[in-house]
Amino acid sequence: MAHHEVERFSAGARLFHWVVTLTAIVLAVTGLFLWVPAFGSLAEDSYSRIIHRVAAVILVAAPLLFFLSRPKRALTFVKHIFTWGKDDIAWLKAAPDYYFGGDEKKMPPQGEMNSGQKLWGVVAFLSVIGFIVTGALMWFAKNSIPAELFLWTTIIHDLCFIVSASMTLVHLYLGAIHPRMTESLKSMLRGKVSEEYAKSHHGKWYKEISESKENGNKEATGSH
Amino acid sequence: MTNHWVDIRNADRILIIGSNAAENHPISFKWVTAAMEKGAKLINVDPRFTRTSSKADIYAPLRSGTDITFVGGMVRWVLNDMQQSTPAERAQKYNLTYLTQYTNAALIISSDYEGPDGSAHPGLFSGFTATPPEKAGRLGTYAKGTWNYASGTHPASDPAVVNNTWTAWSDLDPKCVLRLLWEHYSRYTPEKVQEITGCPQDKFLEVSQTYAASGETGKAGTIMYAMGTTQHSYGTQNIRAYAILQTLLANMGIAGGGINALRGTSNVQGSTDMGLLYHLLPGYLVVPVHTDQGISDYLKRARGVRSRVKPQGLAGDNSLSWWWNINLKAPEDPTDDYTYDLKSNWAKYTVSLLKAWYGTNAIADNGFGFNYLPKTTVGTDYSHIAVFEAMAAGIVKAAMVWGQNMAVGGPNAEGERTALEKLDWLMVVDLFETETAAFWKRPDADPATIDTEVFLLPAAGSYEKQGSISNSGRWAQWRYRAIPPIGEARPDLDIADELMLKLKELYEGDEAAPYREAITNLAWGYRSTEHPDEADPNLVAREINGYKSETGEILTSFITDLKSDGTTACGNWLFCGMFDAEGNNKAKKRDPVDSSLNQIGLYSNWSWCWPVNRRIIYNRASVDLDGNPFDNERPLVTWDAENKKWLGDVIDGGGNPINLAAGGAKNLPFIMNREGVARLWGTTLAEGPVPEAYEPWESPLSENLLTGVTADLDGSPKGKPGFNDPCCYVGDLNGMNQRGAPDEFPCVGTTYRVTEHWQAGQMTRNHPWLNELQPQPFAEIGEELADDIGVKSGDRVNVITARGSIEVVAVVTKRFQRMTIGDREIDHVGVPWHWGYMGLSKGLSPNGSSGNILTPHVGDANTTIPEYKTFLCRIEKA
Amino acid sequence: MAKAILFDSTKCTACRGCQVACKQWNNLEADETVNTGTYENPPDLSPRTWLKMRFNEVEDDGKLAWLFTRRACMHCTEAGCVKVCPTGAVYHHEEGFVAYNKDICSGCGYCVDACPFDVPRMVGSSLTGKKKMEKCVFCADRVTNDQKPACVKTCPTGALVYGDRNEMIGLAEQRVDKLAGQGVDAQLYGKDELNGLHVMYVLAHSPKDYKLPVNPEVSPSVTLWQDILKIMGYAAVGAVAGGLLLNYMVARARMVKEKEGK
Repeated sequence: MAHHEVERFSAGARLFHWVVTLTAIVLAVTGLFLWVPAFGSLAEDSYSRIIHRVAAVILVAAPLLFFLSRPKRALTFVKHIFTWGKDDIAWLKAAPDYYFGGDEKKMPPQGEMNSGQKLWGVVAFLSVIGFIVTGALMWFAKNSIPAELFLWTTIIHDLCFIVSASMTLVHLYLGAIHPRMTESLKSMLRGKVSEEYAKSHHGKWYKEISESKENGNKEATGSH
Repeated sequence: MTNHWVDIRNADRILIIGSNAAENHPISFKWVTAAMEKGAKLINVDPRFTRTSSKADIYAPLRSGTDITFVGGMVRWVLNDMQQSTPAERAQKYNLTYLTQYTNAALIISSDYEGPDGSAHPGLFSGFTATPPEKAGRLGTYAKGTWNYASGTHPASDPAVVNNTWTAWSDLDPKCVLRLLWEHYSRYTPEKVQEITGCPQDKFLEVSQTYAASGETGKAGTIMYAMGTTQHSYGTQNIRAYAILQTLLANMGIAGGGINALRGTSNVQGSTDMGLLYHLLPGYLVVPVHTDQGISDYLKRARGVRSRVKPQGLAGDNSLSWWWNINLKAPEDPTDDYTYDLKSNWAKYTVSLLKAWYGTNAIADNGFGFNYLPKTTVGTDYSHIAVFEAMAAGIVKAAMVWGQNMAVGGPNAEGERTALEKLDWLMVVDLFETETAAFWKRPDADPATIDTEVFLLPAAGSYEKQGSISNSGRWAQWRYRAIPPIGEARPDLDIADELMLKLKELYEGDEAAPYREAITNLAWGYRSTEHPDEADPNLVAREINGYKSETGEILTSFITDLKSDGTTACGNWLFCGMFDAEGNNKAKKRDPVDSSLNQIGLYSNWSWCWPVNRRIIYNRASVDLDGNPFDNERPLVTWDAENKKWLGDVIDGGGNPINLAAGGAKNLPFIMNREGVARLWGTTLAEGPVPEAYEPWESPLSENLLTGVTADLDGSPKGKPGFNDPCCYVGDLNGMNQRGAPDEFPCVGTTYRVTEHWQAGQMTRNHPWLNELQPQPFAEIGEELADDIGVKSGDRVNVITARGSIEVVAVVTKRFQRMTIGDREIDHVGVPWHWGYMGLSKGLSPNGSSGNILTPHVGDANTTIPEYKTFLCRIEKA
Repeated sequence: MAKAILFDSTKCTACRGCQVACKQWNNLEADETVNTGTYENPPDLSPRTWLKMRFNEVEDDGKLAWLFTRRACMHCTEAGCVKVCPTGAVYHHEEGFVAYNKDICSGCGYCVDACPFDVPRMVGSSLTGKKKMEKCVFCADRVTNDQKPACVKTCPTGALVYGDRNEMIGLAEQRVDKLAGQGVDAQLYGKDELNGLHVMYVLAHSPKDYKLPVNPEVSPSVTLWQDILKIMGYAAVGAVAGGLLLNYMVARARMVKEKEGK
């Protein structure tokens, strides 16, 4: 019996994801040197801070490049993660039991991105903006803004880290470790998932793309 | 200084006037701080609120140039207080033993004396002749006969003063010094003080009362002064005013008292001690004049003003009269004058000096080589200002400028720079290429028109050579070379030595050279066998100390060892005794233990001071007639009756205390004065027995508010005696010494120094750390003046006088306040004078923004020190 | 034994020997300056100027005063800079002053914003972020060799003294009493401020007249940041990690059970 696969993430999306992932890791690690006293010595002579700045530039450049090359898709993505409705409330109700290993069928069918993924998208999006704004001030406005304002800028930069780091753990876990999310990592590595996986995890989305395939429509979906 | 630096700590009252001690003597200021910690009160009088004022208990403003009015007012306050008190109160508040027995307060002056207070010659004393100069010269001279004691050699005293029985001034002899002093200073009322100086009356009275408290027996007041006092056309009289005040208050010769000049460079004391001033030989002997045809004339002339005078009616009956410590030859004595004069100390010092200089070529038969000495012409002035007048007139053809930078530091700087252009050649010895060395290529000059050949000899700095430096307190401290000089730089001694040896060689080879013996006959041997290639300062020191001519045996006391028969050689009698009998130079001693009585800080074993290591001169005045200290807490000297000797500081003039001495040996304390007592009234200064308040050469007033004499600028363009100092020297500099009038130049200008820079700046303006602190020249002005001319702090301004203009940065400050003087409002403008057109930090205008571009070529009546401290200017936004 | 420097402003003449001695001992280059209408220079502390004197003209009841303020690291006990330094380059020496190990400074500049006296200065490139901090280090190399700090040694009037902190407090209080006896409203600044400064001042006017902060404190945001936020951060991330671990164990167990049950 042949397994049919469905394309979930385009090459461009995957590239973007991993670039940002790597960049974020570099940023987090070099940032952590200034946060955790035990690692402080690794920040001597500012080398980690130079690397942090290089990575920060990439963090700004990557979404910018993605937006410039695929403006419609970028905007659609952003619109998507900020669109919330009744379905999301239903997901919220079913999530605890579902993720703790309960009956799959109790989870209503999810779209291309389930509510959790949308939530992660919002957190990531806002955190990155927060990082970039406060980071730019910390980098360029050191001598022009008052000391107290600078302290608050640093605090907000750190808050962004706490929130995004916590959510990243969740994202990493759900993306690669959770016993139910068997093909999630594969989908971001190879871009495809099996039809069963698509049906069970993103039922609504699967229905849409099947119907459009049947209708001979090759319309691009938001996940490209 | 009569006292010394550490002694400041002993004062109860400190008056800093004409000095910004905290600014310009920041390290020595610690002694003022120490005194204040012990409860002393600091009073500071200055046109500007300075770093010194910031530490003072009382700050009193005064218009620059009005010290005599202010201090004269204080003298009046004390005299008035004395008269208003009952005799008993008077004796309690003041030290009357001191006043009556140790000063000339009671002595009677000539009945022909007339003071300026009479209407006959307002502003002038009796004996004046005006000599308005066509070009450069003095405004007049005095015949001083009428100022002297009624009896020249045996002045009488008024018993009412001596016995303290007087209550009204009219009780005193009309020509008694104390009464004359009152009559002279009674005009200096607090109202007058306010009117002339601008100091509010209540502030002036606060100063007077606070300072006069030091007059109480057992209390000490010290006056610290510097260039703010001396650099006026009547600067010497400014100091004289302080001396009168101190003498009235019995503050001379005691611990914590004295007249204390804060010398402006580290070794200027040494330079005056060694006779570098134009009118002196080493040890404050005087230079010969052309009418001294031989040594006998010279001694006779010295005798005229120094021979012994014996005051009558005092407990003390013997004036040691140190210069001339022999009685006048009796008329019937057949000994010739010259032989008799040779017995005086003056003669011993002079002959010993000549023996040091001319060695075996100085013999009795040739007057010990006296005629080898260059002589000045009577009536000609040889001071700095006069030399530059002569240079401008083409008389002086060449100059050696040694560690001086008059292109920045000289008065009327552009005038002096221009005068240098007339020289055939100029030699400059300095650490850097100074403005003086570079005068010919300065921004305002055209080198093509200047024919002067300039030699620049690099000099070693003070850490690169060995020798002694004498501080303000007369302490000669020996210093050693820390590092060798860099490049071709040489110590001054080496340069002078080589120069003289070369000159000797040239003169020896030229039989026809005029007066060659003056050079060829010099005994010049300062190289040791250990160091045959360079002069040894230790050998120079040894000669200064003195030795026996034949044997070379070291001399140890000018009191007993110096002779006038040619058997002794001594380069400077003051320093005879600096070496001990074993040949050790006591200037090298560094014992930090204070073993003086009650630890008053004499530190007698730290370095060596003249004379004979006496730390406070006139210290005999610190004890009563029985030899007991007036001040038991700070006993300077005390008579040990049991062992019949003096304890404490080296006693001034030996012998027993007055009451314990035999008749004829009751030694009066002021041993250098011919009359043995301190002079409230004197005859040695050019323009008066006591100071009178004159206006500076450039004054904002049209009438002298004390004397009533008008400025009369049109009628007396060089200066008006009675309005101005009648004997001051007014220069011309080929018309470059223009005089400004108040309508064009309404502000009172003054120049001063800052902590961060030193003198003409050749060292400090080449130091990055110092330039960082004080990078640019500036003018300090008050807020009202700044508002009037539309200037804020940091703006560029031009300060302009009749002689030139400089561009500087404006420093607008509360520390200069507008003053009401007479009927007008006066503002000061203050400019530091350190800047020039050379070095890392240069001025802002092409002339280097030197403060002295502004100052006049006018000098003090006695010393010709330039009037740097007060002139007229205006200030405009640049 | 805690050491301290006592600056008696009533004895200071602003000769600035201290300012130059600091430069000389620490080999600091001169800044290029201009006269901005005051004796004060350089205008501010800088990486090359660790100590400067301020000149304040103050008119009080018609009486003019010229007050001189020493401006340099105050060596606080509650030190904002030490609190925020990520590498421990700025730290408290056992003698109480705020010492500095330049080698391990990361150049982050947090200390600059955390200092209530605006003292630390950064030198380096803003673009790359490679910087080092500069400030008065209490002449650590001197004081650990029985020498006084260079500024103290140079001061001619004794306005600067150095020794055990308790002794300095004693001297200062004696001086304040004496000045009070002369009618001066004197105070000791730095005895208790920020849990005690190791550079204390005898003042004759209010601190405001000397341009000193009246009640200096480390900004509460520093406390929020270093003491609260950090802990919150560890707690949050820890809680999430823990929760995820729990989730893994529970989810897996339930899924296995479900599979077995089929």
